Amino acid sequence: MTPRFNFLAITSLLLACIALPLVLHDEFLIHSVIMVLYFGYLASSWNLMCGYVGQISFGHSVFSGVGGYASVLLLTGMGWSPWLGALVGGIAAAVLSVAIGYPTMRLRGPYFALTTIAFAEIIRIWFENTDVVFGIQLKGAEGLSVPLIGTSWAKFQFESKVPYYYIILGMLVVVMTITWLMERSRLGVCLKAIRGDRDAAESLGINPTRYTLTALAMSAFMTALGGSFYAQFIRFINPERNMGTELSIDMALMSIIGGQGTVFGPLIGALFLAPLAEITRTYLGGQFAGLHLALYGLVLIVAVLYLPKGLLHPLRQVARRAFAKLRGGDAKGPQLPVPAVLPVQGDAK
Amino acid sequence: MDTYVLTYAAFNGLMVGAMLGGIALGLSLIFGVLRIVNFAHGSFLMLAMYFAFWMQKLGGIDPYLSVLIAAPLMFVLGYFVQCFVIGPLIRRERALVVEPISALLLTAGVYILIDNLALMAFGPNVRSTPSLVQVTSLMVAGFPLNTFRVVAAIAALAMAAGVSLWLARTDMGRAIRATAQNRDAAAMSGVDVPFVYNVTFGLGCAMVGVMGCLIAPFIPITPQVGLSFGIKSFIVVVLGGIGSIAGSLVGGIVIGLFESVASQFVATPTASIFSLGLFILILLVRPQGLMGRK
Repeated sequence: MTPRFNFLAITSLLLACIALPLVLHDEFLIHSVIMVLYFGYLASSWNLMCGYVGQISFGHSVFSGVGGYASVLLLTGMGWSPWLGALVGGIAAAVLSVAIGYPTMRLRGPYFALTTIAFAEIIRIWFENTDVVFGIQLKGAEGLSVPLIGTSWAKFQFESKVPYYYIILGMLVVVMTITWLMERSRLGVCLKAIRGDRDAAESLGINPTRYTLTALAMSAFMTALGGSFYAQFIRFINPERNMGTELSIDMALMSIIGGQGTVFGPLIGALFLAPLAEITRTYLGGQFAGLHLALYGLVLIVAVLYLPKGLLHPLRQVARRAFAKLRGGDAKGPQLPVPAVLPVQGDAK
Repeated sequence: MDTYVLTYAAFNGLMVGAMLGGIALGLSLIFGVLRIVNFAHGSFLMLAMYFAFWMQKLGGIDPYLSVLIAAPLMFVLGYFVQCFVIGPLIRRERALVVEPISALLLTAGVYILIDNLALMAFGPNVRSTPSLVQVTSLMVAGFPLNTFRVVAAIAALAMAAGVSLWLARTDMGRAIRATAQNRDAAAMSGVDVPFVYNVTFGLGCAMVGVMGCLIAPFIPITPQVGLSFGIKSFIVVVLGGIGSIAGSLVGGIVIGLFESVASQFVATPTASIFSLGLFILILLVRPQGLMGRK
């Protein structure tokens, strides 16, 4: 697949997404599509750090919760626009992520994953059991709702769901562009080196803590923006839904099943898994609560055993083969030249 | 604060702690031998609790009797989960070294699958199962103690002692300990490592199955009950030292005492925040745990 082909494919896909609300008039369907894109966004944000460094975080929902609470509280308490509130929430989440990440980054594998759960649970339990802090109403487990204050872009409230669709689509494009740019930057190369072999990377002069924390802060910032979007879209926020372990696991699952450490993997994972949740909720109602999650579990087991690189990898091979056939070339597709020694530029001080 | 109330809290904490230690035993054993974090540990506990519930409801069998059926059944379940789900991952990796993170994800998948299958099968309702044991409290040194908790605590201690003896004395126990120390050397000495893995996983599940039946009379049974006990078990295992049987009990008792006494001064959720904080602190400062060797 040539770069020109990729460019054309992505552009046409994006145009199709932009045109979608013109043909899709059903509010409920648009809601479902928004949820799928929202999960794609969260999975992509998770992937920014975890996918590239190879450290699994099961505590990312805390960042989305912090973002959501910041934008809701700033709106209801100070009358700030949710756009500004989301930014404040993002910065708060980034600061929090560095505070959590600095001591825990040196833990490896499962220990890191378990620690992120512990941190996230501490913050969630605190939110659930705190009604008022410094005179700010948090309302504990009950949660906060966002009052209707008229429709306008500044207030992030619209009568139809279409503007929300475009907002989350834009956010998704932004996070994927950031991932794409990061992959090609020095940061991305260093992160991959750390993922491959942390000790070797360190011996080359790459500071693992610095690079991982930078990626973590970016990831937390983006996750928090997603949390604000969700809170303003649903107009309700509570610790269980917005900060719970389940949300963290969803983000991680979609990214891992789609293909972590790639630009499109998390989106593929979300496109595959999120509709499962929407479909079972719509057609089976409360009859089989848990069915979609049971399927998630099954898919995760199969993916870890048989598709350790995620769904994107086999999809890419199929596409490559089909493309090669179209061009009449050999079935293997264009071979990338493999350098004998992977160059890691700079940083060897 | 009244001394009587504090001592009473300490007694309760001691029993809850021994129970937590007993629940964590299986996790610690699997962690120590297979070097994988079994995220589905709490789910196996939940399954055993439902087993006790249904045996009582359908067959009228007391939870304390269903232990005898649950333990072998859970052993078989664990054996097959290891054989058909985790085994292939271990076989795929060369030299039997599993990338810990894929194993964690795999068991996380098992946890999500089991918990939600249970939710679909049994519904979200909170269940409880009665026991034929009518005496609900025992007087020990002037303190009324909950009989069910006393039984669970004593059973946990007995199980830890039994498993330690079994590991020390039998051929299979020796093979398990050898595999835990160095699996390559064990394999070269003729130990059937995959079989040892299956047995270890089965044993871990059987132990958590015993505890599941024993706590069923006093812990509300829901499909989600597993995760909170699972997380508690991680805390206990990390605190006590991974793979250490005694450490698991000590870790459990420390957490139980800590939460029970602390909740006399602060609200219970704050106490659980402290024990999560303790977990993080131990991982950062003393990763080998209280009883573990470096």
